[in-house]
Amino acid sequence: MTMAKTQTDSEHEWTPRIVAYCCNWCSYAGADLAGTSRIQYPPNARIVRVNCTGRISPEFILAALDMGADGVLVSGCHPGDCHYTSGNLKLRARWAIMEKAIEQAGIDTRRIRLQWASASEGQVFADGVAKLVEQVKELGPIQEEWK
Amino acid sequence: MTEASQKIDTAEKREPRIGVFVCHCGHNIAGVVDVEEVSEKAKSLPGVVFSTHEMFMCADAGQQLIKDKIDELKLNRVVVASCSPRMHEPTFRRVCESAGLNRYLFEQVNLREHVSWCHMRQPEAATEKAWDLVRMAVARARQLDELPIKQVDVTPRTLVVGGGIAGLRAALDIADRGFEAVLVEKEPELGGHVRKWTHLFPADESGAQVISPLIRHVERHKLIDVMTNSKVAEFGGYIGNFDVKIENLKTHKTKTVQVGTVVVATGFRPFEPEGYYAYEQSENIVTLAQLQELPPRAELRRPSDGRIVKKLAFIGCVGSREPGKKGHEHCSRHCCSAVAQASADLKDRVDEVLILYQDIRTYGRGHEELHRLALSKHVIYSKFPREEKPTVHVDDDGNIKVTWTDVLTGDQLEFEPELLVLATAMIPPDDVAETANLFSLTRSGDGFFNPEHIKLAPLTTHTAGVMIAGAAQAAKNASESVIDASGAAAKAVGLMARGKVEIESTVSHVIPELCSACHTCITCCPYGAIAMDEEHDPPVAYVTEAKCHGCGTCAAACPSNAIIMYHSTDNQIMAMIEAYLCPTDMEQQGGN
Repeated sequence: MTMAKTQTDSEHEWTPRIVAYCCNWCSYAGADLAGTSRIQYPPNARIVRVNCTGRISPEFILAALDMGADGVLVSGCHPGDCHYTSGNLKLRARWAIMEKAIEQAGIDTRRIRLQWASASEGQVFADGVAKLVEQVKELGPIQEEWK
Repeated sequence: MTEASQKIDTAEKREPRIGVFVCHCGHNIAGVVDVEEVSEKAKSLPGVVFSTHEMFMCADAGQQLIKDKIDELKLNRVVVASCSPRMHEPTFRRVCESAGLNRYLFEQVNLREHVSWCHMRQPEAATEKAWDLVRMAVARARQLDELPIKQVDVTPRTLVVGGGIAGLRAALDIADRGFEAVLVEKEPELGGHVRKWTHLFPADESGAQVISPLIRHVERHKLIDVMTNSKVAEFGGYIGNFDVKIENLKTHKTKTVQVGTVVVATGFRPFEPEGYYAYEQSENIVTLAQLQELPPRAELRRPSDGRIVKKLAFIGCVGSREPGKKGHEHCSRHCCSAVAQASADLKDRVDEVLILYQDIRTYGRGHEELHRLALSKHVIYSKFPREEKPTVHVDDDGNIKVTWTDVLTGDQLEFEPELLVLATAMIPPDDVAETANLFSLTRSGDGFFNPEHIKLAPLTTHTAGVMIAGAAQAAKNASESVIDASGAAAKAVGLMARGKVEIESTVSHVIPELCSACHTCITCCPYGAIAMDEEHDPPVAYVTEAKCHGCGTCAAACPSNAIIMYHSTDNQIMAMIEAYLCPTDMEQQGGN
């Protein structure tokens, strides 16, 4: 894995960089709906589309934090509503263990957020991004924690 | 993590020649994002040989441009930065294919739904986000591999779920075109809600008159297998090749059938308005559905004691159009016209008819005429304020008193009807969640099933091969449900007539050399698509591709990194993260 880079443009004020893993069927569509509904939310998140949150390995989250993401959002279908029946439940099981690992690495677990947002919940998706950005802003750049 | 899969990437990696096409979408994207700057910067990204911006990439000119550039510059990867891939990925994939480029070498960036429309007042931050997303997509494009295009046969038989007016029409349309249909209905009789109704607008016919010929035709058709008292118990497989287990609810006997396509027409249920307008306090306060089901007779009699009704009142929008109340925010669409029809009809038998409404929406063909007919018969329409609903009081003797403010006069008014009818919402059936699970359908805020696309694909769903029709999709009236049903049937017939369909190649694959036979993937696969290959020495896991739906759970769970999820490989995902967070100098400067 690559070592964390410092924020590239020092002239700019620091603003959180967020990686958002979204499942294609619920949360990516929810983010689409937030757009079509013209819901305005912080522009900090970069969405990476995966078929299912079950696809998300803990390594994807750890690697993002390691490369300098100030926060990572994982957004999927509500439990029981997974397009692939139960992929989101597998992710949820991993999440609990991964949170511990992140804590042990000295990273504040408020930097990661797991949320369920269906295709009809544009507002829920947007609120989740806003919430994580707010939390991460309080914590400051991740470089401070990797030291 | 990524080294292992890198080594065994089988597809031949050609030197990437990437074309980047940034779409203005008229003013939709370009009004917020500096598309010129983004496309200019993209020119210097590794592998990019061409980058431009264009007014509408999905229009003929935009599509032609992609084809020309593939041809002229020998592009072997195409990145289009435009709208959501859920909208136009199929379009651009087709464009690439028509120019001889494998569809899996296309990548789309969502600059509209995810950038310009949700950061409208932050053009600089939006442009920065757009640039990051394009850089990420180009990085992913460099890692994309060609995948084979697979075709499977389509079993020439359709499962129709629900024997209401939509299901009947769909089954009959399919059978009339020479394909088999299996019609499953959980009730003992076909005909759904329509069969029970005494007035069906806009024509003055009873529901039974409308639907009986349809039921007769369906029951007599040689190609339709009608299964009443039955439910779909299990559903598996994939487009063209679904396995369905149908259970008889009385005998509990099950039957398994193979079908190629499915039409879900599970309809709605009328909302029981508990807690609204003293509904529970009097037998003489009924829903519109209950009124419709009263046996037709010369005079209108109230349920409590059979006395002839002289004063009748309706209240509209009961459990509909309530902002902030989940499942009750939508307009139920049929009620305004149904109330107009019922009131016009019943005015001949009672002295006074009063309709209390929030708004009147008699939108359909012939519906406004019903509204006028009711007015001409001196049915009284009175509008109440949205924020101040009427109140209903039932006294000890069972007399009903309605009090409300009339918007036009501002007066506080009273009426004492002998029968009060609440025009309640159309909401999804009780078992809608179960049905959604069974067929992997998503639902909208009102609880009905989501179509694949609200405008462009209203009858297909995100489960390929499964169509929706009628009130299963949204509140709608009988004629609209029939239109849906014929449309959904045409979709099903189209698939069956072609006989073959392309399926996604985005499945997982076990690399035998790396598999440690721990069985983790086997236990986590939701579809039972992974098994042990005992012939192999030592035994290793393998994926039955036809059963794999491509969720990628196994790839994430495999402790040996022995599973590749095609089109969503670790490399492809990590390349995006790296391009975002740790861009190379070349990527970072964007050529400046």
